[in-house]
Parts: sequence; structure tokens; C-alpha cells
Amino acid sequence: MSAVMQKDIAGLIRRDAVHRSVYTDPGIFALEMERIFDRTWVYLGHDCEISQDGDYKTTFIGRHPIIVARLADGSVTALLNRCRHRGATVCQHEVGNSRFFRCAYHAWTYANDGKLLGVPMPAGYGPSFKREEHGLAKVPRVASYRGFIFGSMAIEGPTLEEHLGGTRKLLDDYCAVSPTGEIEVFRGYQKCGYDGNWKYQLENGVDPYHVGALHRSAVTADAMKIYKEGRGRVIDMDGHGVTDHSDWGPMPVDAGLTGGFNLVLFPNLILLRSQIRIVRPIAVDRTEIYTNVVRLKGVPEDVNLQRMRDQEFEFGAAGAFYTDDMEIFERSQRGLNSSAVDWVVFARGLDREQRQGGYLTSDMSDETQHRGIYRRWKQMMTAEPAMAAAE
Amino acid sequence: MDHRAIEQFVYQEARLLDSGRFADWLALFAQDAIYWVPAGHDDIDPTQHVSIIYDTLPGIQKRIGRLNSGFAYAQDPASRVHRLVSNIEVVSRADDAIEVATMMLLVELSRHKQTIHSARCEFLLRREGADWKIARKKVNLLRNNEVLDSTPYLL
Repeated sequence: MSAVMQKDIAGLIRRDAVHRSVYTDPGIFALEMERIFDRTWVYLGHDCEISQDGDYKTTFIGRHPIIVARLADGSVTALLNRCRHRGATVCQHEVGNSRFFRCAYHAWTYANDGKLLGVPMPAGYGPSFKREEHGLAKVPRVASYRGFIFGSMAIEGPTLEEHLGGTRKLLDDYCAVSPTGEIEVFRGYQKCGYDGNWKYQLENGVDPYHVGALHRSAVTADAMKIYKEGRGRVIDMDGHGVTDHSDWGPMPVDAGLTGGFNLVLFPNLILLRSQIRIVRPIAVDRTEIYTNVVRLKGVPEDVNLQRMRDQEFEFGAAGAFYTDDMEIFERSQRGLNSSAVDWVVFARGLDREQRQGGYLTSDMSDETQHRGIYRRWKQMMTAEPAMAAAE
Repeated sequence: MDHRAIEQFVYQEARLLDSGRFADWLALFAQDAIYWVPAGHDDIDPTQHVSIIYDTLPGIQKRIGRLNSGFAYAQDPASRVHRLVSNIEVVSRADDAIEVATMMLLVELSRHKQTIHSARCEFLLRREGADWKIARKKVNLLRNNEVLDSTPYLL
């Protein structure tokens, strides 16, 4: 662990500010992987990506390579993509269909539920070798809500429903945009990367304050109405960030910038218009973003196609909005690498935020939702392992 | 167009982009043009699979309008770009339409960071009166299934 010791972490989050080392210290990043990504519920994928028996996708929980597989009984399992013999990854594809995974190195072969089916020349291992002890390691807990599949590396802890808290209603609303109540995703990802900390993306996913400034070249005057004339709110919803602009109506079928909400589900999922954005921290100063484009069941195909065309224009590596977002993430990292100034300011709305419907909320341009995320961050980063297991 | 004229056409297309003459570049396109950069792999169905760019002419116009607006912060300062175009092949030829494939090595420099893209570009050129226009430009990036850093410049 580097300069900042564990006992000092609580001091990095002030009521109105976050210390720059939260974005720049590799020791902090390593601790985030242990205390956040190894403990809480991490988004893995959507049901529709692995809808058939034997379907799988590969992803990550923090630094762990993961296979998410649909089993014959319809259930979902998540396995560590790491051969129990010498450690090589056993699955090399992003998506596919297979009932088994075979390591290329010595041909150890596993069922898609993780069970070790066989090893070549087994007699060499002798009687003490227990094949059942050498299956692919499992992600201890896997659960889903409305088709969104999450995994937790912690054996115990809050349930997924407890973790989601009030955001369950938002996931319900997100699916309710579809006439059948079901969403799917188009094939493929928009895959983007930037040289900056992963938490810039969490902040930015629920940051109405920046839209009229940073996105001046892309946002329309009509869309700016929701920020300038609306009475939307920002919400700290159980440590997840929400911008609620449903005063302009529910999320529209065309995913335009009007009603609905943005949701940052700590620590790695963002729902924003027609996007499912997955945040993948790579290093303290490197982040990858994988985005699915959501299609609605039960609407005309041209409506879905236009949703995708709009997202391609606005987001992704060449997007009119997202290139400027990534630009500012990289500028932030360059600025915060300076030790001359310590604090990043999150003070907007401190004097006008109030509790509504059980949650701290404030005006549309405020930073209540960011403060909520950092309170959650601080609580997780300062929790001792034993306490985490007992919480 | 003979092969020499086709070469000059694709060289000119590259030169207009490299020199930031976006309005002149836009004028090369037909009214119903598609500017397409697939994601994942080269041969996706763009109605079923997400792309990196899939613009019709109004989209290309908006993209250029943004770059010229003075507020496209991802291009402040603007990238410097060099394109090397080679392996020019005529894939098919009719009286009013020619399919051309090229290999492109694009070197982009932005604030000390140099990025190299290799791509196979596919052009559908169509005769419109005395002119030839680009009815479709498809850029098959070698890295189209990889994570891409911000790519606000035109490909």
C-alpha cells in the first residue's frame, strides 16, 4: 500500500470534497479492487445475452476474469476463467455456446457448471487427487433482477435486492418502456477506453451540471429544456446516483433526451437512455467502458434501429457526446496528478438539498448524488473484512 | 474512371481529411451516402449489431458541424492526421458504379499521443452526371473489436 494508509482513508472524503489521491493513488486503487469489487454486487450482463442452454459470455469482476454461463436447468452460474491446474484462462471468446471449457495447456476439461470432467493421464495424480476439488472456482453469489445479472465475490453480505434498494423501481421503469415489459440488447459492444480513473465515469453518468457546458457542441436547445426549465431532481438513492427528469414524462420509447432518469448503480453499471454502460477499472489511471444498446421488445423495428443510430452518433469512441466526456476524464487525471492542490469540490446543493421520499435529493444541477456515491465509497473502503462479512 | 482517376479520387479524399477541409470532403458524398465504421468485425449486419459510426448524410453534416463549432473539446487542440493509402483495387465495375477497396494506415497525433489505425476501406463510387460521388464509405478498422480511445476525428 502506498502513501495513504488504510486508517487515513476516511479523511479523504469530506462533506463537500474528495481528495485527489482517490483518483491517483495506485494503493487506493488496489484497495478498491479488494474492498469494493471483491465485496459488493457487480453487474455481469443481461439475461438476453445468454438466453439459450449453453450460452456464455466472458466479463470481469474487478481484476477477475469471469465466465457467465446458462446451464441446462435454466440457471446462471459465474465461474472464474482460470484453469485450476496452472492458471491459464480456459475460455477465450466474448460470447459463445459450449457445454464445456477445455484448457489448451494440458487439456483439463470442465463442464460449463465448473465441474472438472477429466484430465489426461489421470493415473499420474495418484489416489490423493480429488477431481471434485479442482473444478473452476465459482463466484460465490449470482443473482438477477429484471434480467440484469450480478455477481458477488463475497460469500455473505447484503442480498442483491438489499444492494439495489430503491433503484429496483428504476430498473422496473427501465423495462416498462417496452410494451412487453422486456428489454434486449443489440449484438456487440461499443468499447471505449480512457487514461483516467473509473470514478470519473460514475460521476459523469449522473451530472446534469456539465451537459450545457461540455456538450455545447452536441446538445440541442430542445433537450436543454429538461435542465434549464425542468424541476428534475438529483438523488442519493441508497448510495447509487440518480438524476430524475421524469417531470418531462417517463423515459421515451425513442430514448431521446427528455423524460426518465439516469442511474449509476455503484460500482459498475450505468443506465442512461438506450445504454447499458459497464465500467471496468483497469488501473488507477485507466478505465474501459463497454456499452450495450438496448432494444425494446414489442416496438416496430425502425424504432429500435433509430435508438441504435442515435446512440452510435452520440456515444461510443466516436460519439458526439462521449468523445468530449472522455476528453474531460483525461484532462481531470492530468490535473489531479498535481500535488499542489488537494481537493476536488462537490459542494453544489449542500445548502438546499433535502430529504424527499426517504432520500437526500436536490436541484437538477446539484451534487447530492455524487456525495452519496462517495459516502458509500468511504463506508466500503473503511470497513474491515470481518465487518464486511457481518454487515 | 480509369484506374489512375480512381487512385486520384481516393488520394484526394484522404488529403481533404488530413488537411481539415471537411466541407470539401463532404461535397464528395452523394445525398443518400452512408459513412460506416463497423464494430466487432468487418461483416456485421448494422441493423442487428452496433457500429462505431453509422452516419447518413445528415449525420456526417452534424459531425462536421460539431468539429467546426469551436466547442468540440475533444478536438481542442485538433488532431494532426496522416493517411497512407495503398493496395488500391477495383472490386467491381459497372457503367455508373465502381467498388474500390484500399488499405489505409492512419497516424493521428493528439497532445503528444500518437495513435495508429490500420483499416481496409471500401468505397462505393457512383456516377452523378459528370461527377463521381461516394455513395458509401466503409472503414474496416483492424482494431474494430478492441477498446478504442476517444476517436473524435474523422476516419
